[in-house]
Amino acid sequence: MTSEATSIISVRDLQSFYGRRQVLFDISFDVPPHCIFVIMGVSGSGKTTLFRHLIGLKPTRKNAVFIKGEDISEWKSSDWQKYWQSIGVLFQSGALFNSMTLKENVALPLQVHTELTSDIIDVMVEMKLYMVGLSGFSDYMPAQLSGGMKKRAGLARALAMDPELLFVDEPSSGLDPITAAGLDDLLISLKDAFGMTVIVVTHELESAFKIGDYMLVMDKGRILACGTPESVKNSKESRVRQFLERRAEEAGQDMEAYLQRLCSVRSR
Amino acid sequence: MNTSGNFVVKLGGWGLSKILGLGRMGMFLIYAINGLWKPPGKLISTIKHIYFIGHRSLFVICFTGAFSGMVLGLQGYYTLSKFGSEGLLGAAVSLSLIRELGPVLTALMVTGRAGSAICAEIGIMRIEEQIDALKCMAIDPHSYLISPRFIAGIICFPLLTSIFDVIGIYGGYAIGVLLLGANPGAYWDGIYKSVGWDDVYMGYIKALVFAVLTIWISTYKGFYAGVDSGSMGAEDVSKATTDAVVISSVSILVADYVITSILL
Ligand SMILES: Nc1ncnc2c1ncn2[C@@H]1O[C@H](COP(=O)(O)OP(=O)(O)OP(=O)(O)O)[C@@H](O)[C@H]1O
Ligand SMILES: [Mg+2]
Repeated sequence: MTSEATSIISVRDLQSFYGRRQVLFDISFDVPPHCIFVIMGVSGSGKTTLFRHLIGLKPTRKNAVFIKGEDISEWKSSDWQKYWQSIGVLFQSGALFNSMTLKENVALPLQVHTELTSDIIDVMVEMKLYMVGLSGFSDYMPAQLSGGMKKRAGLARALAMDPELLFVDEPSSGLDPITAAGLDDLLISLKDAFGMTVIVVTHELESAFKIGDYMLVMDKGRILACGTPESVKNSKESRVRQFLERRAEEAGQDMEAYLQRLCSVRSR
Repeated sequence: MNTSGNFVVKLGGWGLSKILGLGRMGMFLIYAINGLWKPPGKLISTIKHIYFIGHRSLFVICFTGAFSGMVLGLQGYYTLSKFGSEGLLGAAVSLSLIRELGPVLTALMVTGRAGSAICAEIGIMRIEEQIDALKCMAIDPHSYLISPRFIAGIICFPLLTSIFDVIGIYGGYAIGVLLLGANPGAYWDGIYKSVGWDDVYMGYIKALVFAVLTIWISTYKGFYAGVDSGSMGAEDVSKATTDAVVISSVSILVADYVITSILL
């Protein structure tokens, strides 16, 4: 992995709390530029929490998160404005504005931050919607879309300003395998064609290994493994193997016994 | 720790959280005012909110205005006729409406109709991460969501109050003069002679203060729905909406007393 100087994001011993409860423990990693960095882990392992630290929605202590070498805890609001204009974020829920049509959702950042005329904005919006496979839906309201379509619309909005850093939280949850594969290809081409750095949170192993240049496996708020896909694949750590081989918690046998007990109760 | 110590700690924690909440509420207002001068442009969204707060409240305001005036006409005529001074009916009706009932009832009605809706709308945006999404697009949520509602409220409340007053005065006329037979000339003359500019100012000052209070409390409650509990669920929005209506209504009545006692 690269050092702090050349990496676009560096995290050093990040701890995170909700109230008194600690949910992230000693997280450290680096994200080199122009790569796809995948964050994996079971549900509740703290992926979204880590994500929120990186996009500045959860306050971070001193010397924990560095973006392009700058400590984000020391940023003033103008620095944040500059950073937020250079990133695109897809939230786990999609977070579309439900009083606006799809077109207006995607156009909003362009209207606020650029001087483009509405004709040009329309063309750009159409293009982004086409990229995520939603052309023809531009006049739909978010409530009229399926869950997977909302996700893709959220991605179109995240791409509206052609960000250099793209954060996506579970892009393919709720999508069928074909659409999900299309989304993977889109992320790869964003990296290759535009040189974007993409940070993806996912639990889809297959897609993670397909798109990831680097990956981070989390469990209960700690890092289990971090590195290239090969190094993660070859990890000897038992929890990592368990995660990769999709085994349920040790409780496999207990589960059977439990089911048998249930059946015997019913047959009585 | 013993129980009394525990109690003191809890009380201290509660007090601190209330003080912090008040501080946050003050900052919220400052950000919203500050947001007036920030992009994005507010013309279109302000017009939308004027439509929602003002136009859509019109029916309710006309209706309540008419009945308030009518009941004032009825009560006023009944009371005044005991002393043989039905001629004062116009003055009684118009002064009560312009100084008190107009601004207060308008504010209460708009709180119930628009304040709750504003709070719920912003609360849903909060729990669905839409406010976070705005922030991450480098769009200031205070400037984008809150400031236009303040402008719209400040424009709508005095206008709605005026409409309420006028319709109420005609309502009083309908009952007092047309139904019960007070002298129509004396009714209008009473209004003309007794209502001064200071009465009208007082009504408008109240309307403006109530506008700020209602919008401030409703948007604040929605904006921070579920933030403290961290649960971000639908029940946080419903609780925020209830709080917004109750707290706005109470503060309207308290502010009414304070303004009256200062201006009198
Ligand atoms: N607002 C909150 N308040 C309190 N605890 C929270 C909050 N949000 C998350 N948590 C806790 O933090 C831990 C990590 O949650 P997080 O949302 O980061 O998980 P995740 O890895 O994104 O899971 P998923 O894959 O299901 O989205 C969980 O144990 C959760 O209970
Ligand atoms: Mg998550």
